[in-house]
Amino acid sequence: MSGYLLEMKGIAKRFNGVPALDGIDLAIRPGECIGLCGENGAGKSTLMKVLSAVYPHGSWDGEIVFDGQPLRARSVRETEDAGIIIIHQELMLVPELSVAENIFLGNEITMPGGRLNYPAMNRRAEEILRELKLPDVNVVLPVKNYGGGHQQLIEIGKALNKNARLLILDEPSASLTASEISVLLEIIRELKAKGVACVYISHKLEEVAAICDTICVIRDGKHIATTPMPEMSVERIIAQMCGRELNQLYPTLPHPVGEVVMEARHITCYDPDQPQRKKVDDVSFTLRAGEILGIAGIVGAGRTELVTAIFGSYPGKHTGEVLIEGRRVDNAEPIKAIRNGFALVPEDRKHHGIVRDLSVGENITLSVLGRYSHLTRIDGGEEGREIGEQIRRLALKTASPALPITALSGGNQQKAVLAKMLLTQPRVLILDEPTRGVDVGAKFEIYKLMLELAAQGIAIIMVSSELSEVLGVSDRVLVIGEGRLRGEFVNQGLTQATVLAAALGQHGAP
Amino acid sequence: MNTTTLKRIFTQYKILALLIAVALIWIFFNIKTDGGFTSARNLSNLMRQMSITGILACGMVFVIISGEIDLSIGSLLGLLGGLAAVLDVTHGLPLPLSIAVVLGAGLMLGFLNGFLTAYAGIPSFIVGLGGMLAYRGAVIGLLDGATVAPVSPGMEQLGQAYLPPNLGVALGVALFVLACVLAWRQRVSQAQHKLPVIPMWRSAFRVFVAGAVLYGLISTFNSYEGIPLPVLILLVLLGVFSYIARQTVFGRRIYAVGSNMEATRLSGINVKAVKLWIFGLMGLMCALAGLINTARLAAGSPSAGVSAELDVIAACFIGGTSMRGGVGTVHGALVGALVMASLDNGMSMLDVDAYWQMIVKGLILTLAVWLDVATRSSSR
Repeated sequence: MSGYLLEMKGIAKRFNGVPALDGIDLAIRPGECIGLCGENGAGKSTLMKVLSAVYPHGSWDGEIVFDGQPLRARSVRETEDAGIIIIHQELMLVPELSVAENIFLGNEITMPGGRLNYPAMNRRAEEILRELKLPDVNVVLPVKNYGGGHQQLIEIGKALNKNARLLILDEPSASLTASEISVLLEIIRELKAKGVACVYISHKLEEVAAICDTICVIRDGKHIATTPMPEMSVERIIAQMCGRELNQLYPTLPHPVGEVVMEARHITCYDPDQPQRKKVDDVSFTLRAGEILGIAGIVGAGRTELVTAIFGSYPGKHTGEVLIEGRRVDNAEPIKAIRNGFALVPEDRKHHGIVRDLSVGENITLSVLGRYSHLTRIDGGEEGREIGEQIRRLALKTASPALPITALSGGNQQKAVLAKMLLTQPRVLILDEPTRGVDVGAKFEIYKLMLELAAQGIAIIMVSSELSEVLGVSDRVLVIGEGRLRGEFVNQGLTQATVLAAALGQHGAP
Repeated sequence: MNTTTLKRIFTQYKILALLIAVALIWIFFNIKTDGGFTSARNLSNLMRQMSITGILACGMVFVIISGEIDLSIGSLLGLLGGLAAVLDVTHGLPLPLSIAVVLGAGLMLGFLNGFLTAYAGIPSFIVGLGGMLAYRGAVIGLLDGATVAPVSPGMEQLGQAYLPPNLGVALGVALFVLACVLAWRQRVSQAQHKLPVIPMWRSAFRVFVAGAVLYGLISTFNSYEGIPLPVLILLVLLGVFSYIARQTVFGRRIYAVGSNMEATRLSGINVKAVKLWIFGLMGLMCALAGLINTARLAAGSPSAGVSAELDVIAACFIGGTSMRGGVGTVHGALVGALVMASLDNGMSMLDVDAYWQMIVKGLILTLAVWLDVATRSSSR
């Protein structure tokens, strides 16, 4: 016996003849947690889809041995029955169903005759949620009543209910707050103690370092190294992921900060579902030309609501004033905000950023298409030149601007959305989580671009949940907590601890 | 292996697969009717029958690409056709004025549908369902439940006139030259943008096919009476709507709105206005189809256009328009309309019972969309 729960040997997968995975080996012992690291597009998700039979046996080459038996699953159902449970990056919950119904979806407990046994399901759901340190969740209420972080944990509860022997977590902490992340890591430790193996995929390498026993790095579909964690460090993981040493994570570029260009006064947003509840409560701030203003805070603090209210895309009722150079402007709709010199790169790239059925080039020119139109006809040559220029300027990696936008990696999609908004020539550029789901290399390029834009005098607001990023590029930091402004700091000698304390509302922020 | 390559070819050249399907249908009916189906007279008739569905499909394909649906078009066609008949027969209005009033009314009713959908936020399915009832009621009221006839000879011409054969030939030559120019310009622009230029033989082949199709069409029409006016109108619309879809800002926005409305809105585009105009165009097409329908029947009938919306929507889906929006072509929808018209015409010639005709059309629609879905999922 090898002592391994799972062995994947020589896994290779091609898409239309292009290799996505090229002979990957992966072996996991019971109770072991493996951190699977690699840049976006390295093949992590593809590998996990092979393992969980999203790509059925036969559509890839290689061999999987699970629990000493060859695994030739043809559907996700079969791998789940074997005890391999994958938790996807995007939540797979049905918002209208109750928490308990979601946990038992596809796995319902029934009474004779097929009637659902609600008492049993609710009782079991409550037990699971207690394990997940979520005793305050009412299992009979619809899932949509709970925030993103809770939902992520409920999703994990769903996996626990299926008696997972191997749990695959794909970016589980993307929408979790710091305290929820620590709960998550605690749960994983408990699972490990029970002999459950985990594959942990995350761009947050600190978490990977904290929880994983072994690190497996893949790059361009190839296996680079599998190393026990004690011999690794975050720096070495990054070096293996990019194939080079990244000396600095954050570029520097001097950019003089000028006069105040924008002012937000008394912004208040009301929850669209519960009109009395304030998501943002009377926040005011100023922004100067050439300044990068970081907005920090825990998830759900109201940061996205604040910036979307300024841009006119907040779905609920909101009040307050926005001024540009002391002049009041009406940003009731995004179209008006863009005319007033604002641009927003939204947080949810898939739903609010890219247009799936358009090409890379068509996405880039979407907001300013009228510019290339003469007598009703779009001048393809002129449009093509502009697209080419933007692709060069942002170092966007695409084989051709005519490719579908969905063919690009997350980082390059983000650059296309950024290019689209930059073409509107904004004076105030709002970036909401600009590097979410973006690999390390592309992150660096996005930071560099932000600094260049600031040096040209564009005022930038960056909302980010990654504190190191906020401290790495901002000139000034606003901290939002529970919808209120909890602190404002000049970013000189500022520490993560100070910002975090303010975000959590601990020891009196100024 | 072989099936995958075949599948890939089908996904890539969906329109080719559709044309093969049309050819098969034609061959089948031709054998069954001993050549009667492909006689010049019948083909001319078939194309004329198809023109109404085709004109409506031009408008509908934009509606569906933008992620909406319009169920009211059959009733709207009836109402506007009825209006045309009343203006012409009862009030004796001069033809140009009648046409202008009907087109104007179509545009306005289309805007009303668009306003209710885009600005009032009522789902277009409901707006269409309401319109289907209300417009049908309106036409029955307008015509007092009876057929209004006969329309003036001028209006009759609109549905029954033919383009003189020599003009038809001139048109064919002009279109062939246009096809050559377009093929040439495609090559030039591909070279300009440093894209791989398609091989010369393929450009030549395309131009050759275009020429052959044009020659076949026009010689067939000319050996009967010439190109029917409604078919000519449909050809013009094919050109105009394809141009809108591929070359204009408005066209690009239709696809963007249908593919991701929220991202399009955040890009600073007035998505409501885009939808308003799409429905406006749809109303305009209903007016045109209503006029031609009334002219063809030489009468305004309270039951004109009943369940036309089903044929039109089926044509769009057969032609590869995506149910979830963002994908579709005008020429695809028109080939879809040709499929539906061919089935109607052929089965009528064979004296197939009406109930069988409905069953066959239903099966063909389901089959076409199933094939579409099956080839699409395999390409992922």
